[in-house]
Amino acid sequence: MMPEFTYIRAKSLKDAFSHLSGEGARIHAGGTDILGCMRDKIFDVKSVVSISGLNDLKGIRETGEGLHIGALVTLTEIAENPAVNGRYPALAQGAASASSPQLRNQGTIGGNLCQKPRCWYYRGEFHCLRKGGDRCFAVAGENHYHCILGGEGCYIVHPSDTAPALIAYGAAVHIEGRKGKRSIPIENLFVLPSQDVTRETVLEPGEIVTEILLPPPAKQMKSSYRKVRARRSWDFAVAGVALALQLKGDIVSSARIVLSGAAPIPWRSKEAEDSITGKILDTANARKTGAAAVSGAQPLEHNGYKIQLFRGIIEEALITISAA
Amino acid sequence: MSEDRDEKGCGGRGEECGRGMTRRNFLASLGVGAIAIAASGNPAAEKEASAAVIKSGEALEINLQINGHAHRLLVEPRWSLLHVLREELGFTGTKEGCERGECGACTVLIDNIPRYACMTLAVEAEGKEITTLEGLMHGEKLGAVQQAFVEHDALQCGYCTPGQIMAVEGLLRKKPDPSLDEIRTGVSGNLCRCGAYVNIFKAAKKAGQLKRGGVL
Amino acid sequence: MNGNDDGFYYLRGIPVPETPLPDQNPQPWQKTEVVGRPLPRVDAYERVSGNAIYPSDIVLPNMLYAAVLRCPHPHAIVGKIDTSAAERMPGVRAVITGSSPEADFSWPYSPEMKTKLFNPHCRFEGEEVAAVAADTIYQAWDAVRAVSVNYNILAFVSDEAKALATDAPSVHAGGNKLKIDRYSRGDVEQGFADADVVLEETYRSECELHTPTESHGCVARWDGDHLSIWQSTQGVYSIQATVAKIMDLPLSKVRVIGHYMGGGFGSKLGADKFTIIAAVLAKITARPVKLFMTREETLIAAGNRPPVSMRLKAGVKRDGTLTTLDFSAVGTGGAYPAGGTSLVDWLIRDLYLCPNVRTETTDVYVNAGPARAFRAPGHPQCSWALEQMLDALAERIGMDPLDLRLKNIPSYSQARPGNPPYVSTGLRECITEGAKVFGWHEARKKTAEPTAGSHIRRGVGMASALWIGGGGGPPSTIVVKLFSDGSVSLNMGASDIGTGTKTVMAMVVSEELGVKPDVIQIENADTGTTQYATPSGGSKTVPTESPAVRAAAIHVKQQLLALAAVDLKTDESSLTLIGDAVVSQADPERQIRIRDISGLKKRGLIIGVGYRGPNPEGKVINPFAAQFCEVEVNTLTGEVKVIRFLGAHDSGRVMDRLTFDNQVFGGITMGIGLGLTEARILDRNQTGKMVNRNWHDYKIPTAMDVPANIISLPIETDNREANTTGTKGLGEPVTIPTAGAIANAVYNAVGVRITGTPINPLQLCSALALLRKEE
Repeated sequence: MMPEFTYIRAKSLKDAFSHLSGEGARIHAGGTDILGCMRDKIFDVKSVVSISGLNDLKGIRETGEGLHIGALVTLTEIAENPAVNGRYPALAQGAASASSPQLRNQGTIGGNLCQKPRCWYYRGEFHCLRKGGDRCFAVAGENHYHCILGGEGCYIVHPSDTAPALIAYGAAVHIEGRKGKRSIPIENLFVLPSQDVTRETVLEPGEIVTEILLPPPAKQMKSSYRKVRARRSWDFAVAGVALALQLKGDIVSSARIVLSGAAPIPWRSKEAEDSITGKILDTANARKTGAAAVSGAQPLEHNGYKIQLFRGIIEEALITISAA
Repeated sequence: MSEDRDEKGCGGRGEECGRGMTRRNFLASLGVGAIAIAASGNPAAEKEASAAVIKSGEALEINLQINGHAHRLLVEPRWSLLHVLREELGFTGTKEGCERGECGACTVLIDNIPRYACMTLAVEAEGKEITTLEGLMHGEKLGAVQQAFVEHDALQCGYCTPGQIMAVEGLLRKKPDPSLDEIRTGVSGNLCRCGAYVNIFKAAKKAGQLKRGGVL
Repeated sequence: MNGNDDGFYYLRGIPVPETPLPDQNPQPWQKTEVVGRPLPRVDAYERVSGNAIYPSDIVLPNMLYAAVLRCPHPHAIVGKIDTSAAERMPGVRAVITGSSPEADFSWPYSPEMKTKLFNPHCRFEGEEVAAVAADTIYQAWDAVRAVSVNYNILAFVSDEAKALATDAPSVHAGGNKLKIDRYSRGDVEQGFADADVVLEETYRSECELHTPTESHGCVARWDGDHLSIWQSTQGVYSIQATVAKIMDLPLSKVRVIGHYMGGGFGSKLGADKFTIIAAVLAKITARPVKLFMTREETLIAAGNRPPVSMRLKAGVKRDGTLTTLDFSAVGTGGAYPAGGTSLVDWLIRDLYLCPNVRTETTDVYVNAGPARAFRAPGHPQCSWALEQMLDALAERIGMDPLDLRLKNIPSYSQARPGNPPYVSTGLRECITEGAKVFGWHEARKKTAEPTAGSHIRRGVGMASALWIGGGGGPPSTIVVKLFSDGSVSLNMGASDIGTGTKTVMAMVVSEELGVKPDVIQIENADTGTTQYATPSGGSKTVPTESPAVRAAAIHVKQQLLALAAVDLKTDESSLTLIGDAVVSQADPERQIRIRDISGLKKRGLIIGVGYRGPNPEGKVINPFAAQFCEVEVNTLTGEVKVIRFLGAHDSGRVMDRLTFDNQVFGGITMGIGLGLTEARILDRNQTGKMVNRNWHDYKIPTAMDVPANIISLPIETDNREANTTGTKGLGEPVTIPTAGAIANAVYNAVGVRITGTPINPLQLCSALALLRKEE
């Protein structure tokens, strides 16, 4: 049951920044993740700063730079947007496959990128490393859904279904805080446990993601997002793959392959990209690419299946996209 | 046990505390047990919303527009829309299944879009049009989706049913003639443990037909 | 378990009154006007409009909200509890613990094992430690969090296999072995010798949780010394009996009301600790108290289908004759006696003809939430093993799995003393008719064809089943009232748990009295105003209640005809009821409308009383089933998609085709959960805590996991010998064979046998990769 907190309805971004500088202040956009975290008392929240009323952060618009998606745009709005569907199908598929219709109607793209991990130890009554404790319970515990890549000390997987697609498209994320604005490649938004086990993004306290910018897609680009889950709706990725491939005839001239459900951050697999770049997009190469993606995998006791699963899903995604 | 104990340094009975009020103080000042005041069609009740900061332990007076009627009431920041609908206002057509956005029994329409009332703070629902199951009724007569659920026996225990109906209503308001896949996706945020899904699909199809035929 | 309904699990611990025999058993219906039609539920309006008030909807004036502090460890001794901070918090009206004199009640987990309401020795995560009542539910939880407890944390055991090790921590003094049950007939070793093929395999069925959408809870209110309880329950009388006994109250001082309830599946058959806790808090505060479990609490502490590991060795002759079944199982009902292996061998014993059978089931304690009866206790687990084994045997002897089953269909119960015959067994028809409508042979032929190129493979599978219960029986008392205008009120104690009980009973009244079902007023599930009934569960409500309803309606009719005979100045034996008039069969001109009968006008109403008579001696009444399904397996990812299902069910007469079909859909949906998505996961190596205690991590099927194409095929057998409505139960058999049928279909698709539930990509994709390597 929800503990008490102070509620602040921000009237402007500036207003929000000033309130967010306080100890224990958290952002409420759609609210779907933060309210769950507070209910489960994962961390102490003294005040909730709601930015849901800030119209500047809403809407999708197109400029010469590309497609601008405001941080408060909901996953449903993204999944149904014609421009996104037409040019960035992997993002539409990612947004459409996240959680449930009601949560997609409420949850925002900003929130989807900044959400907290879904590890059941982190979310549960376990004082784990990420919460300031002294160990990761997944190491010796029930690690069926945990990471096979990039885990070091902490073995969460990144829960976002939109981030892999955004990374595949080379999107930028606009961040704003008291000290000003900055823009970074979205790939650089996320933090590995080896860098800092207590945070998931590079956002400084008080900073807010304000906008996502998708660069105009190249002409011969094919892209997709495919997700495997333990249940066909309302479930995070057991394994997912976002593809963005440039094709010259049959040959893949460049590739971005980004995995969900594999690592504590959306995992760009350079090994997989290298494996397929310059090659014909056929079954044999697809299979090799899948194998390359997991070549460095270090499974735990119960998640070894993910090695096979990623090989399978990458092979399938590449075959499917070649036929598309 | 004392009724007017100080709360987190706030003042005594009836005294303003920050820009909010304690719930008990407000009750005391009204001298009644009911805090909901139906103020249907009264524009005076729809005054400028809200202080910007409501401290924990304080309550805020808000206006909720539910099924076309304005309700003025005091809420704490942490109160969910679900809590307010069920426990404060007595709407029994919004069910509580999990309180964590994982079952859909509390689905309501907010500005015509299905959302979970349990994952929506009551303060966040201010200024929006909220539709509950009761809002689909025409007096004592069932709405189109409700009629279709009856005809196709799209329920068993009936507890998830209000949420299922609201999800279908929301779907049909957006897509009047949904395909089977769209229907399945449309109700994929509503668990039915009794397993009436197959009949829910049929009912949603039928409800679309009814609505397109002019039944509301 | 002797297989008779006496002492059946839903009656355990509940006093069952002797019921008088009915005056007269009516003849079976020859032809029905109302019964058997697809009739929308008589209470559908209430359920779709929000008018139906479920116990969790209740808000009483001056009501408090309660919350329970539960032990966060799987095994601990509760030491000092400091409630002082909680007591000082805003809105808090009462805090109780094990040392509160008002809360000093015993709680029986079984007749032999009594604990305390707040037991100082907590043996599972979620055992009750303290409780709070406050003005709002938020304040109640604030206070729960402010209670500080010193726990002496003890070593725990989560695994039933590990629990049997000599150095395992003891859940109870005296070790973790609760009991071993053994059964045998014939000579198993001879059976192996007689077999042409012998196979042995181990299987596991994971712990499954009921998770009804309305959580478990109640509202309790005292009026002086009279306690009223509104509880989400399958049986108001069973709660009344338990509460009265524990709190030492006369039955007449305990009124339990449960008009509507949001699902139970066996987890709401009786009183809970929260019932007593709410009553205690209401007593202390002299205010009504609402206490509902949170979703997380229901997952750790409101029961489960016990996990079980099974070994089955079976022998068959080349012609398909089963020669032997040798079965053993180790299971656990958690920390207290809760039927961990109850009925888990029943299908081995009784489903297929087999002369030589041996079973041994070992029930052990672990530090986990106690099991509760869960839709067809034991059966789906057993079916998971047996039906996969039957398929494996069929393959080895080159026989269609359907034919192997048809070869071994019994007409009598082999496992019951004296081998009593079944009143009816539609098993053969379920299999043959089901196969025909499903298109089994065509589908099997198609899946046998090589599928070059695609990594998506299709498979079809089937499984059959029986349910040990389903015959119903006494007691049941029903009152039907006929008002002076010919309209009717039906009064029964049974809960309608979503199966359509109220509708079916209204149809029975309508069949006998001609009054339309939708004008029948129904009063049910209230110990204060309705008649005695056992809890609705075990697929026995329709065969138990409907004959009593019929008897009550006939009793009304007899009195009505007698009154009409006075007005018509004729002999009542010549009269019959047609529509709203009593008519002379000899002279149809002689008739009188019900509303004009002077004797009825004078009395105002007629009361008919009906009782459930006994079942036939020496006969067994069981429902039978066969289910068929087609799946699609992604061989690269291990994803399984269920394409279609067919459930062929012999549950005797179909009363309401709509609610009948809905039960079939629902049972299959729940079976899909067992087969493909559900499993409780405990942090067995570190803390023993349940890690997936919410509806995201504990995955029940969504609308996307269930095929839109499910066919319900009723196989209506003649059951007039069973009872006066010719009915058998349906709610359990519909979920028994589902998971096994899916496993068989997956094998048919890809040649991989997954012997542990659930068949998810986690398991299947590794198995498929292994298979590819072997190829």
